[in-house]
Amino acid sequence: MWVLAGLRHGVLTTRWPARPDQYAQASRGPAVVTTARPPDADQLASLCPTGAIGVTGGALSLDQGRCVQCGRCVSARPEVFAWSAGPAGAALARPGLIAGDLPENPENLAALSERLRARTRALRRSVHLRHVDAGSDGTEEWEILALLNPVYDVHRLGIFFTASPRHADVLLVTGSGARGMTEPLRRTYEAMPHPKVVIAVGTDAVSGGLVSPSYATTAGVAATVPVDVWLPGSPPSPFAILHALLLALGRLPGGAGAQR
Amino acid sequence: MSAYSVVFGAGLWLLAVAAVADLALGTRRPRLVQVPYLLGAAACACIVVAGAGALAGRSARLWAGGVLGQGTAGPAADQLSGLFLVIAFGAAAGVSLAFASWAGQGRPGRRGLGASYALALAAVAVILTARDAFTLLFAWEGLTLAFYLLAGFERGRPGRPAAALVTLAFGRLSGAALLIGLLLLAGRSGSLSVATFAHVPPGGVRTTAQALLLLGFAVKVGLVPFQIWLPRGYAAAPGPARAIMAGVAVNVGFYGLWRTLALLGPPPSWLTGALLVMAGLTAVLGIAHAAVQPQLQRVIAYSSVENTGLILAGFGVALVGAASADRLLVAVGLLAATLQVIAHTAAKSLLFTASAQIESATGTADLDDLRGTVRRLPWSGTGLAIGGLTLAGLPPTAGFVSEWFLLEALMQQFRVPGLADRLVLALAGAAVALTAGFAGVTFVRLLGLIVLGTPQPRGSAVRLRDYGLAGRAGIVLLSGGCLVTAMLTPLEIRVIAAGLSPDVPAAATAAALKSPWVLQPVFAGFSILSPSWLWIVMPALFLVVAVLAWAASGSRMLRVRRVPPWQSATAGVEGRDSYTAFGFANPTRRVLAAVLHTRAEVRRIETRAPVAAPSPASLAAPSQASLASFPAGAGAADTAGPGAGVPHVGFSSDVVEVFEEYLYRPVLRPLAALGRAARRLQSGRLDAYLGYMLIALVAMLAVVSALS
Amino acid sequence: MPAAAGAAVAADVPAMWAKLTSEVAAGARFAGLFATARSDHLLLSAHLARPAGIAIVETALPPAAASYPALTPRLGAAFWYEREIRDLFGIVPAGHPRLEPLILPLEGAQSPRPRPGAPGGPAVAEPDPRALPQHVIGPGMFTIPHGPVRSGVMESVEYLVETPGEDIPHLNMRVFYKHRGIEKRFEGMTPADGVLLAERTEGTASVAHALAYCHALERMAGVEVPWAAALVRVLHAELERVACHLDVAVRLADAAGLAVATARFGWHKEEVLRLVSQLCGSRFGRGVVIAGGVSALPLMSTADLLAAAGRLDARVTADVRALMGTASFLDRLRRTGPLPPGRAAEHGALGPVGKASGFADDARLARPYDAYPRLGLRPAGPHDEGDALARLRVRWDEVGQSLHLLRQAADELSEAAAGPLRAPCHPHDGRSVGWAEAPQGEVLYDVRIEGGRLTRCRARSASFHNLVLMHEVFAGDILTDFPFIEASFGLSVAGVAG
Repeated sequence: MWVLAGLRHGVLTTRWPARPDQYAQASRGPAVVTTARPPDADQLASLCPTGAIGVTGGALSLDQGRCVQCGRCVSARPEVFAWSAGPAGAALARPGLIAGDLPENPENLAALSERLRARTRALRRSVHLRHVDAGSDGTEEWEILALLNPVYDVHRLGIFFTASPRHADVLLVTGSGARGMTEPLRRTYEAMPHPKVVIAVGTDAVSGGLVSPSYATTAGVAATVPVDVWLPGSPPSPFAILHALLLALGRLPGGAGAQR
Repeated sequence: MSAYSVVFGAGLWLLAVAAVADLALGTRRPRLVQVPYLLGAAACACIVVAGAGALAGRSARLWAGGVLGQGTAGPAADQLSGLFLVIAFGAAAGVSLAFASWAGQGRPGRRGLGASYALALAAVAVILTARDAFTLLFAWEGLTLAFYLLAGFERGRPGRPAAALVTLAFGRLSGAALLIGLLLLAGRSGSLSVATFAHVPPGGVRTTAQALLLLGFAVKVGLVPFQIWLPRGYAAAPGPARAIMAGVAVNVGFYGLWRTLALLGPPPSWLTGALLVMAGLTAVLGIAHAAVQPQLQRVIAYSSVENTGLILAGFGVALVGAASADRLLVAVGLLAATLQVIAHTAAKSLLFTASAQIESATGTADLDDLRGTVRRLPWSGTGLAIGGLTLAGLPPTAGFVSEWFLLEALMQQFRVPGLADRLVLALAGAAVALTAGFAGVTFVRLLGLIVLGTPQPRGSAVRLRDYGLAGRAGIVLLSGGCLVTAMLTPLEIRVIAAGLSPDVPAAATAAALKSPWVLQPVFAGFSILSPSWLWIVMPALFLVVAVLAWAASGSRMLRVRRVPPWQSATAGVEGRDSYTAFGFANPTRRVLAAVLHTRAEVRRIETRAPVAAPSPASLAAPSQASLASFPAGAGAADTAGPGAGVPHVGFSSDVVEVFEEYLYRPVLRPLAALGRAARRLQSGRLDAYLGYMLIALVAMLAVVSALS
Repeated sequence: MPAAAGAAVAADVPAMWAKLTSEVAAGARFAGLFATARSDHLLLSAHLARPAGIAIVETALPPAAASYPALTPRLGAAFWYEREIRDLFGIVPAGHPRLEPLILPLEGAQSPRPRPGAPGGPAVAEPDPRALPQHVIGPGMFTIPHGPVRSGVMESVEYLVETPGEDIPHLNMRVFYKHRGIEKRFEGMTPADGVLLAERTEGTASVAHALAYCHALERMAGVEVPWAAALVRVLHAELERVACHLDVAVRLADAAGLAVATARFGWHKEEVLRLVSQLCGSRFGRGVVIAGGVSALPLMSTADLLAAAGRLDARVTADVRALMGTASFLDRLRRTGPLPPGRAAEHGALGPVGKASGFADDARLARPYDAYPRLGLRPAGPHDEGDALARLRVRWDEVGQSLHLLRQAADELSEAAAGPLRAPCHPHDGRSVGWAEAPQGEVLYDVRIEGGRLTRCRARSASFHNLVLMHEVFAGDILTDFPFIEASFGLSVAGVAG
């Protein structure tokens, strides 16, 4: 009877990234700046509880790596700030998460991207993930586990979860870098064979989130392992995690949204 | 006298010199201590040569000219004797070399070990070549004495005196059975010469004698229910003396069984059936106990019991074949059994030799303290590994070939006419197959934890003192016996064929060679095996895979980054944090609880003092433990309770030797009572003793006059 | 809403313990113990849950006191609370049966401790593995360390299983890996920012933590939440409960190897999270609950909401019926991990763990808040086997009730949508207790505000209270039962480690 139950509702799996997905397009990511130079830019920095909003020479910037999606800036000044929509949230370099009117550095980015691609060339079609929780609040684990449910079904993309780091290619780290997990995280990283890719999943892992500064955290996991892909979000939606994975593997269709 | 006779005599003389040397030289200087054993090794070499000559048809004969008494003849080797001489003394040579190295490691002790060792070897040589009943019995008692001396050599240590006594008791039991059987036959045939026993007419006397002979030899090799002395006796002997007892001397029992079949033909079918059932039971019981022992020596000793069962299962097939006059069946049975004898001799000697050095270098025989031995003692560890692989029956060792042959032999049961025989053979076959499975578990435990494990405590991979040059030579020789005989199995089969003839026609035995390098179980068209091809193909496959891996990895294959083993990133715990040998055996204890009568107990220990580990498989009175009881509210000490100490939990599991528990112990009590009652006869009064002598004289006169 | 009794101050520690034990003997439930470092003394506060509300009993310790007589020998439920106090403040409970570091192993008395309540503190407190106890292993046993990085996508906690080879006679836990210092982080925040941090204390129970925190602020300011806001709060709280219970079902089905059941319940959980994101923009209901009410109405019309809830109800009910009829699944859960009813009552087990062992103290029923008094919530059916199957059955009962409450709240909301969504709530000074029933059990917040900023916010999650019971539920179970027992508890380690 379980077989029949499984067939009852047809195919539930999304076709993303081959076809666009409505929920993916509508899902809410970190905040972005829509008006780069509002008149009272200097007073807006205090809106953010984590200090993500910065002002440089009158130009507003919002560090998505610090945005915990509290919505305060968006509800206070909806004409300056807005939610980013869609799953493309990850970046290959930490500065790439700072949205705003800042000059980009395309050469550096291209070099980074090329080095990452060289490392992951052998992993394209079949990759194993190992997750480590370095002090998260439990929601990032739910979102990562959601990749295994039939709606996202990460297995169709050749991506699998593994228990042993000896078999893993990609290390997903969540959590704000609790000091108790520094050594275990380092041990896990050492136990993985080269080539390996580290993805910091969630604002907590990228910058420590709202929980840092604290005596018990290291303000993100970059202090313990070298991060290749930075994914903001509190927590990032499963589509955003998938996007980050495919970015790391260089499998985003048409390179759309890949250069960040 | 032929050259081989001279060599044989020289061998026996060298053993006598070795005994004298040991008693004279003492144990003070390490160099001198080695002399008896090196002489023994030379003696073994001589005897092997004599045996080879006997196999080739040149009988080696020693003339003793009735020196031992009227009607006796000197020992002489025919083909069967030659075969067993080669097997036993080939292994003994390796063991002697290792013994020399072991004894030369400068341990102070009493003199006499070398003498006992020489006595044992000489007794084995004489038994294997005895031509008359008296010489055989004399040498048999000599072997029993040697066993007693060896088992009781370290009588200062706990448990040794009792073990020596039990060994002596069962040795006397087998000697008594042999005495009565041989004397019955001698009485009927009118002469002490063994060859004349074949002509005793069939009847009650012949059958009784046959049964007694089989009983005597079965006690020697440790068939159920006489197997209880084996583990104790073997484990009690010092060092490589165990290899002499378990690897070399046990072959006299098998030789005796083979000779009984050759002389007296097949026993009645009820006896054959009983033997087969006992053999199956022995194999299962032996391996069940071997799988759960916490001490290395006991594991190996119980494995001897298991191999006895396997060998006698093959022997049973030969008996069935002899009863139905099927030569090929006899051939396949004896061939399988002899192959197993060879593999067992080599492997058991190797195992006990290696374990002797392991025990003396590390000071302990507990498996949990011996993890990762191969790093600390490379030669002994490798010897242990090879011996273990052989007895586990893994290709490409000799044990694999012999177990294959044995199972094939048992599978021929469909050719046997009688239904009862077929059923019994099938039962034995099932038992052997079950044994093979548990043998895998047993030796995985040994190899995986002891040889390949991580040294505990971590980081103590300090090199200990391993065997010297002689010992390494011995280990290489014995390992060669395990491995090279597998490579050259066709040659081995030809040698066995020569040994079994003329009782079993060499053509029948040689029918096991389907082609120069391919074996079949004597009957054509059933099944084939080529261990020589295995020896070529397995390394070749390994090489091919290695080359492919190297090529595919772009020559990065040998760039290694060492990291600690993955243990879920924990900071670690003090002490044991991975499967112990004790824990590994727990599932086996549970699964075979019916055979082992396992009792397990979990108890909370409230003190902080370190608790000495009890020896769980001690054969003392069983504890009054309930089965796996877990006290209710046990978690309370963790979370509440005034005055609760730091609780930790201890686990003990006891297995029971069923035959000792339910057969011998109930018998011991009335016997002990009888002994105490009999002591009243020793009143110490002269008039009582004179009265006894008078009564005995009158009784004997009455009996003699009644009989004549 | 029911008022919390004011803090009763005891003369000294033994008097406070005497009061606590007498209250517990009289039928109150011990709900927590914590300390606050004030300027000139150390304040020990305990919570007692009574039908009327949560009572506080506290006493002051002199500043130089290095130890105090332990409560655990008299009241076993304080076992982990006193260890936590010792870790955070360095003060030793004398007579504690097993004083080992719980959430912050620091070696020696000289290491600076965080001391929540006192301004300032160490910038870095690195956990020291040398402070961890070296367990004495009995003969014949060995320890299997399982964690902190375990097989599967799980939160970091280490279980040390002492075993002779297959059974689990004894279990030790190390929960300090995920300690983030949340209690200290609350200090100095504005009350508005405090809601954000409360949501991230135990992320899978975000709404419940935000509710408990906001109840404390509302009680302090003496405001009443408007009806529409109360309904929206109930909506999100119940959706969160359904999501958590479905997560437990996914883990159990996965441990049992039922692939279709795992997939289907995973789909249902995804549908719930998508429904929540369509209602408020966040998949976990974050940003909805604020002090005084809610931030906005649901972004979905009540008709759509009712339709979605109906679909969910039908699908989940059908799958639950199939799952609870699968004999192989029930076999794995029956008599696995039993918690004796006596122990549950003695300890005051919260949530489904307690209800399955016959101890039910649902905060929505006993000390109702928001819209619960006026919505029809019935107590869960009697269960007292205490095994994993009973815990699952309790969860299904709760899911059924939650969906029912959801529909009721949506119906009421369609009429009350025009009302105000928040009452002004800006307490400047005060101290109060708030509670809410999270999916794991009751969550308690003890909030102290001085000068418009938080000076002490104690967040006690149900996971912290319940996890200690894991020591006692392994009666004759083997290693393969472990994932079932862990999943049936359904606790979040983030709430334990703080």
